[in-house]
Amino acid sequence: MTTTKTFNYSHTVGFLAATGRGFTNPVDLAINSQDVIYVINRAGPETPIRLPSKRVTMCNLNEDWFGDFGTGGKGDGQFWWPSAIIIDSDDQVYVADEALQRISVFNKDGEFLRKWGTKGSESGQLEYPSSMAFDADENLWLTDSGNHRVQKFTKDGQFISGWGERGSGSGQFEGPWGLALGQGGDVYISDWGNDRIQRYTEDGVVIEEFGGLSGGNPIHRPAGLTVDSDGNIYVADWGNEKVKILASDGSLLATLRGESVDSKWAADYFAVNPEEGQLRNEADLFPELDPPARRDREISAGVEGYFWGPTAVKLDDKGNIYVADSLRHRLQIYKAN
Amino acid sequence: MPDNELGLIAHLLRRAGFGGTLKELEEYQAKGYEATVEELLHPEDIPEWNDDLVRRYQPDQNSVMYFESAQSYAMYKMINSNRLLEEKISLFWHGLFATAYGKLNHAKGVLNQTDTFRRHGLGSFHDILMELSRDPAMIFWLDNKDNHKNAPNENYGRELLELFSMGIGNYSEDDVKNCARAFTGWTIANAEYMSNRASRDSIWPSGRIDWQFEYRPEDHDETDKDFLGRRGNFNGEDIIDIIAMRPATSWFISGKLYNYFVSDTANEEATAFLAEEYRKSGGNIRSMLRALFLSDYFKSEAVWYDKIKSPAELVVGTARLAGSYKTPQSNITNLASDANFMGQEILNPPTVEGWHTGMEWVDTGTLVERVNSSALVIGNTLQPGVQDMIQRLKDRQKSYQPNELVDACLLLLGNLDVSEITHDRLTEFAANYGEVKFSPEDSIACSEQQVVELLQLMLATREYQMA
Repeated sequence: MTTTKTFNYSHTVGFLAATGRGFTNPVDLAINSQDVIYVINRAGPETPIRLPSKRVTMCNLNEDWFGDFGTGGKGDGQFWWPSAIIIDSDDQVYVADEALQRISVFNKDGEFLRKWGTKGSESGQLEYPSSMAFDADENLWLTDSGNHRVQKFTKDGQFISGWGERGSGSGQFEGPWGLALGQGGDVYISDWGNDRIQRYTEDGVVIEEFGGLSGGNPIHRPAGLTVDSDGNIYVADWGNEKVKILASDGSLLATLRGESVDSKWAADYFAVNPEEGQLRNEADLFPELDPPARRDREISAGVEGYFWGPTAVKLDDKGNIYVADSLRHRLQIYKAN
Repeated sequence: MPDNELGLIAHLLRRAGFGGTLKELEEYQAKGYEATVEELLHPEDIPEWNDDLVRRYQPDQNSVMYFESAQSYAMYKMINSNRLLEEKISLFWHGLFATAYGKLNHAKGVLNQTDTFRRHGLGSFHDILMELSRDPAMIFWLDNKDNHKNAPNENYGRELLELFSMGIGNYSEDDVKNCARAFTGWTIANAEYMSNRASRDSIWPSGRIDWQFEYRPEDHDETDKDFLGRRGNFNGEDIIDIIAMRPATSWFISGKLYNYFVSDTANEEATAFLAEEYRKSGGNIRSMLRALFLSDYFKSEAVWYDKIKSPAELVVGTARLAGSYKTPQSNITNLASDANFMGQEILNPPTVEGWHTGMEWVDTGTLVERVNSSALVIGNTLQPGVQDMIQRLKDRQKSYQPNELVDACLLLLGNLDVSEITHDRLTEFAANYGEVKFSPEDSIACSEQQVVELLQLMLATREYQMA
């Protein structure tokens, strides 16, 4: 199906904050039935002073802040390398952790409810769970990245099925990262180490793959992805510091580079730091750069408005596209029209 | 072939790298010494370390906003890169052109500078000085952003002559002033905003922003300048052209290279030899190092174990030996901290003069830290490098007498050559175990533990702490 949609930058949510109102390396997000955005802050390094930055921030698209929960640690309700977040029909919040090899479940206010998951390579065990999604029956699918496979569980952690093995051939994975479920039940995987997106039936049969480095629109180290009702694919092209939007046939619809301007929370900061704000207003924040190495990454490091380390793309039912801009500690919001 | 070619290659890898595992030594021995030298001199022919996994799992080390993240990333790179000499030459320039996080509040700026040293560090000294003069961290560190046409700041101009090229006594105060005037207008983009952020240590709203070099012609002094006996409307490039051709510069850089790669004790004859190579090669660092590594000044057994390992060399070398940190690990920050406690904060040298090396690396406190840190890393039997050493022992013999075990373990630690008295003490220690057996099965765990304890003791020896 050919889409006539356009994708335009809307605004930015959030700014850097080690604790409290703001984000530190936001790597994934989920939206509940009340339009509350839950953002996981990966943060780091894992030193005592930085551990409190590991938390889930709750806010909305208008930058109202509702608080946060969790902290760095290995106890119940704590996070070490939080990687993915999803919300079920009861607004319960599921957070995957790639270091603790577990899924922690919280109520909508952030109270810890339960956890499941054990480290290992047997069926039902986990090694770096990177991404999650619920299907129509509220079974929980995840990329078990360290085991190079996809697994399906009940939402209380009972193993149902899984497939995949390490490799670069059809049906194989190299550290898969993102996972999304299409409306027809197809499973989309960002095969990170193989620089491609794969589409499977829910039984694990390969339907197609696209996006490899040799193609016309090369994807490099894809991270989180999502699929809309038309079958268009939105992928965080982490290795290229971009977001790519592909039609259902894999053709490129749009490439987003990021174009952030200050969020409300950022504006609040400059309101109380006017001298810095004034100098910022006078600065050229979108300079032309031509670094000698790793061009896209280094350009992102030098041009603040661009994506830097985009890790997740999510949609809501109002046409908003949310990009977790992990190294810039913010969400860039685009509108599909 | 020299009698002790394996020993010579081990010496080369300790100086041009961080020491080698026995497997690496054997591979290089098969190629031969001269071929090994040539391979080390051409790191561009060796694939770069793929850091994608670290950047994916530890995003703080992708942006390196925090100092400890940048230090940890630097450790990962030195441990995992197969471009050994590229790492060592970057560390050399980092020590010589010492630029510290403490003033900049911009860890990635210093890290980017060390990357510049990787790219250009084996090229011509002229080009290295050019890159240095354009490096944003250096511009910030020595205040060249404050060096204006109508208000010169001499800081960079002075250190360029005194600490970075010729050394004191080879120029006048007027040369310093005119050197500074030639570098007016060499600044960073958005200098005022970036200075404000740095002074406030501001990371808001979206983390650090990489600095970029910018030349502002309207702020450059276009009048004539007298410099080292020449007169003209010099810009920074002209100054570097002049500096790079001075005999004092060739002598200066030769002495620094000899000290770093050969001995903590200066050698005038060897320095003159290198200075001549500087002249012949147009100041090409690769050519100078080739001449050095193939010379008797370097190969002589008299200079083996004649240098005290810097903390970075010790920590990185031990981690490489143990096969540690091949994949992302949260505790990489501890490794950087260990080097800090030993007196070498990577990316944060104490002053513009860099670190004081040689005997100054060791005092009663740092010695304990050096021994404990090394022992901790090699004592982890889960590390692949340690497992590999134990497996090699098992494959070679099923049991070892104390003397045999000591010799075998010294070989596994990169052909470590210890004094007779050290060897005797190690053998006495190993004798406490009696015969160490890897058969029957129920004796293996105990034997492995004994081997690891012996390895830990060996890392405490004078010889292991030296390069």
